[in-house]
Amino acid sequence: MSVAELKERHLAATETLNNLKQRLNQTRRSLLDTDVAGYARSQGKNPVTFGPTDLVCCRTLQGHTGKVYSLDWTSEKNRIVSASQDGRLIVWNALTRQKIHAIKLPCSWVMTCAFSPTGQSIACGGLDNVCSIINLNSATDKDGNLPVTRMLSGHKGYISSCQYVPDEDTHLITGSGDQTCVLWDITTGLKTSVFGGEFQSGHTADVLSVSINGSNSRIFASGSCDATARLWDTRVASRAVRAFHGHERDVNSVKFFPDGNRFGTGSEDGTCRLFDIRTGHQLQVYSQKHSDNETHPVTSIAFSISGRLLFAGYTNGDCYVWDTLLAKVVLNLGSLQDSHESRITCLGLAADGSALCTGSWDTNLKIWAFGGHRRVI
Amino acid sequence: MPAPANCSRIFSKELKPHVTEPASSPASVRTFDRSSNAGSGDGKTTVSPMSVIAARSNDAGDFSSEEHSHELSKLHGVKESSDFNDSNWAFTDSLLSLDYESSRDSSAKNADFNNEGKSMCDVKGAPIVTLNFNNLDNVDGDGNENDNEALVEEFSVTKRNKGLCYRCFKGSRFKEKEVCLVCSAKYCGNCVLEAMGSMPEGRKCVDCIGYPIDESKRESLGKCSRMLRRLLNELEIRQIMKAERFCEVNQLPPEYICVNGKPLSFEELVTLQNCATPPKKLKPGSYWYDKVSGLWGEEGQKPCRIISPHLNVGGPIKPDASNGNTQVYINGREITKVELRMLQLAGVQCAGNPHFWVNEDGSYQEEGQKNTRGNIWGKSGTKLVCALLSLPVPSKCSILCGERTSSPVSKRMPDYLEHGIVQKLLLVGFGGSGMSTIFKQAKILYKDTPFSKDERESIKLTIQTNVYSYIGLLLEGRERFEEESLLNIKKNQSDVLDSTGTISKKKTIYSIGTRLKAFSDWLLRTMASGKLDAIFPAATREYAPLIEEMWSNAAVQATYKRRREIETLPSVASYFLERVVEILRADYEPSDLDILYAEGVTSSNGLACVEFSFPPSAPEETVDTMGLHDSFVRYQLITAHARGIGENCKWLEMLEDVGMVIFCVALSDYDQFSTEGKGCVTNKMLASRKLFETIVTHPTFEEMDFLLILNKLDQFEEKIKQVPLTRCEWFDDFHPVISRQCSSNNKNSSSNNASLAQLASHHIAVKFKRLYSSITSRKLYVSLVKGLEPDSVDATLKYAKEILKWNQERPNFSLSDNSMYSTEDSSFSFTC
Repeated sequence: MSVAELKERHLAATETLNNLKQRLNQTRRSLLDTDVAGYARSQGKNPVTFGPTDLVCCRTLQGHTGKVYSLDWTSEKNRIVSASQDGRLIVWNALTRQKIHAIKLPCSWVMTCAFSPTGQSIACGGLDNVCSIINLNSATDKDGNLPVTRMLSGHKGYISSCQYVPDEDTHLITGSGDQTCVLWDITTGLKTSVFGGEFQSGHTADVLSVSINGSNSRIFASGSCDATARLWDTRVASRAVRAFHGHERDVNSVKFFPDGNRFGTGSEDGTCRLFDIRTGHQLQVYSQKHSDNETHPVTSIAFSISGRLLFAGYTNGDCYVWDTLLAKVVLNLGSLQDSHESRITCLGLAADGSALCTGSWDTNLKIWAFGGHRRVI
Repeated sequence: MPAPANCSRIFSKELKPHVTEPASSPASVRTFDRSSNAGSGDGKTTVSPMSVIAARSNDAGDFSSEEHSHELSKLHGVKESSDFNDSNWAFTDSLLSLDYESSRDSSAKNADFNNEGKSMCDVKGAPIVTLNFNNLDNVDGDGNENDNEALVEEFSVTKRNKGLCYRCFKGSRFKEKEVCLVCSAKYCGNCVLEAMGSMPEGRKCVDCIGYPIDESKRESLGKCSRMLRRLLNELEIRQIMKAERFCEVNQLPPEYICVNGKPLSFEELVTLQNCATPPKKLKPGSYWYDKVSGLWGEEGQKPCRIISPHLNVGGPIKPDASNGNTQVYINGREITKVELRMLQLAGVQCAGNPHFWVNEDGSYQEEGQKNTRGNIWGKSGTKLVCALLSLPVPSKCSILCGERTSSPVSKRMPDYLEHGIVQKLLLVGFGGSGMSTIFKQAKILYKDTPFSKDERESIKLTIQTNVYSYIGLLLEGRERFEEESLLNIKKNQSDVLDSTGTISKKKTIYSIGTRLKAFSDWLLRTMASGKLDAIFPAATREYAPLIEEMWSNAAVQATYKRRREIETLPSVASYFLERVVEILRADYEPSDLDILYAEGVTSSNGLACVEFSFPPSAPEETVDTMGLHDSFVRYQLITAHARGIGENCKWLEMLEDVGMVIFCVALSDYDQFSTEGKGCVTNKMLASRKLFETIVTHPTFEEMDFLLILNKLDQFEEKIKQVPLTRCEWFDDFHPVISRQCSSNNKNSSSNNASLAQLASHHIAVKFKRLYSSITSRKLYVSLVKGLEPDSVDATLKYAKEILKWNQERPNFSLSDNSMYSTEDSSFSFTC
């Protein structure tokens, strides 16, 4: 078989594939009779209402000297790790606002950080293409710095996102600018499996975000610059379980819905979307013009514990609280007192759901929680 | 100060329900909202959104809940006590600022506070007031200029309730309190964490963050009180104290220190504090400093210390610096009576009001005379006398270290400067433009140990793997050549003879033996499957003899001679292949030059950076203050992979704090082609241009200066002789005018060619400059570099430094001055 012949066949196959995809989309659309908001409205649901003290900024964590790029809560609720462009990770006591650790990193361009499930160690990664693990219990070196205990190297692009596999301190999933996601074994420092890359069903551009299913830790989702989100099974590295199209631009953030059957995405196109992993359908689009009548990219999203609320940070410093059922913005944290002065880059909900933490380019982190008085019945 | 705003803002708990409060002050807005909310919202059945967020609420946790339930509970008529275990995230932050106000004007109302049994402060229930500095200014009437001083002043007025906590107005004089380093506000143990927040600069109230500390409290910097120790854990304390001591705001402001009547600059203060024997416990004030002998004292006082001499700080010493009246002078300063007595006891002849010239080692001579008269410290009794008269004696190390301090490199950088003055240079370029060579060169040039042992080990493995892949490419070439020559033979023979079928077994000079053939096939297969990295560095020892045998094989050597025809073989390959046997030994250690030549050493990780400072150049240059400044500036050279720098690059914005972008282009690329993803072939020079345009137009680098490095000038000089520059379509219009005379007169062709290379490189530079100015209407700095030559790279990086320096100074020059510097060609340095 000659090269020309092969090329021809390849072209033909690609065309067939595209046709099939189109047909699939059409069928999908014809079957899609409603979205979540439409159904909820028909059921007479009312949007969540917020009183003025129901969600207020009650802590400001100051101490970074550069833009904050990422944050993560511990599972035991009161510690936060944040990563900033000043090349430091800071571990905060969110309740007292004090810094527990300030870790100077060998490479200052850090893009992501994560707490291990036990809260004993931190993973971080960035433009050095290495995911570094820092054990918080290890002894400090002579400069009072915590040393990096393990380097997970092997990515050929920047590390955009990392998350520990729930209930395991030894496994970690990273997303990278080399278009792949990798499941790592931290004890050996080796790749367990690589998702995407050379395989056809992988992402075709930088992976920007990963999120592991909370109820089934074998399943995780990834969002990418190729405007798709993909669903992976860690046991089957060779191909993605499913690709989710719909966004028009980069998918900056993916986050699993608390029940594990859906996940949300936030995109450069200014919308958030909710996808169902069982049907592959897009359930809802969350899109609303901002006060300046423009669309701003979504940088990060988070769900409340019940899933009723979706928090989305935007590049203009807005942080919308969406009612996921009715697809309405019920609150804009950016319009409240003490809000951030610049782009919100990361969001995170405390493990018990009692507080939301936001990080911003204005170098601060803020904690938002119930600030009023609640009657105990 | 009975400001009108304060009247409506009352903080005590006897405050009646806020509904009655006028909604005029910013305070009342929220209060109003809340009370209305309390009236309508809370009691109803609508799902409180926070109950959605907080699935499990009421876990009254580890944190004392601070509810401000008084007003509300009165409204609701609910028992107070039940309201306490609600939320851990009680509202605190925005109240903080009001405390100052309250402490000022509401002391009278606080009288009956103690009858409240609550542990937490009632003020928390106060309306949410954000009292920012604007409000303060209004209250003060003026003070836009230095509201900080106004602040400090005001707080000194409020001494009347000094026994109380400034926040909860409780406690007594004897209760332990933490004091704000700026405004001296005192807080009791219950309030201090609320009032001081995350303490990013140590113990300061939230509103004092960013302001310099009260100098009288400098002594207590970094000394933790017992109270904080009780409240926070050890790690947290350590972080706070570290921040307190080393954050930049808390450092001694240089202008507070006058030396010989001249306030210090930042650099001078750093010099002073980092010399071998610095003045101890430097406080703001005026000092005199005798640069020759190192004597140091407060203005108008006798000397109190001998510090390192010859420091370039402050102005020249004045005769009346120590306010002496003895008419005896030391180094131009009239000395005090005590000093005179000391000199007399030390046996120095002081009759006739002499003027002495005293060196740092104590040797002295009379002014205007040549020979040394003696040494003040020579006598053993002198130091005892000094001790009795409480005069300073030189410390031992000041004499010992005298010479060493003069070199600024050996100075340790103060901690808070660590990330203070770092100038970042971003080095980018298309793949193969030699930017990693420049990066490595910089490392070798400016670092004492450019590569650590581990690094060298991994570099060794990289080099060895590279060599295997070069061999693979060579063998691939060999196969091709063999086929070609076989075909040729076949052709020739079929022309001459009729085919007999035995021809195919003929050997050519490119044929190898079966054993080598097997190895070659295997190697090529491994390469094709992309598993070379996995096998090779480990198996080096095993295959080394085989490689040795192969390298000496005539067929391989014949192929090597034709290496120019193997396009995929990089030009540096020959450097390594020549020494293949040596390199593949297990005990091979790469030299700096090897590392310089090696590919893929820095690119293994996407972004690499090296921090360095330029060694002080000529001594006369370091005399002026800029030179001094230089030695403190650290530079960070960052290389980033071009791959992924697209229009929507996610991380380029992280590099916005770089001072300059250095864009690297390989001159020799003009006839090279690269295949991009979709199989279209582009000229590498054009690809470079495209990347250049992308980066120049990227919003992150909008206002940034660009330095274009035209690299690989050496290869270019060679290549331009054979391949015309017009091979690249961008340079179509290159028609060098080479004077006939010149070429005919000058038989030495090499100089002629060099000038052609010069013309060509200038042409390329001009092309880039025009492109740049058409995009940004600014000037592009260009530098020609031979990446493999250290001097060339050194000169370029120094040129980059000069550009940065010039940019800092540029605002100091007026426009008219600018004309002096503005030249089209001055920005073009020919550094080779």
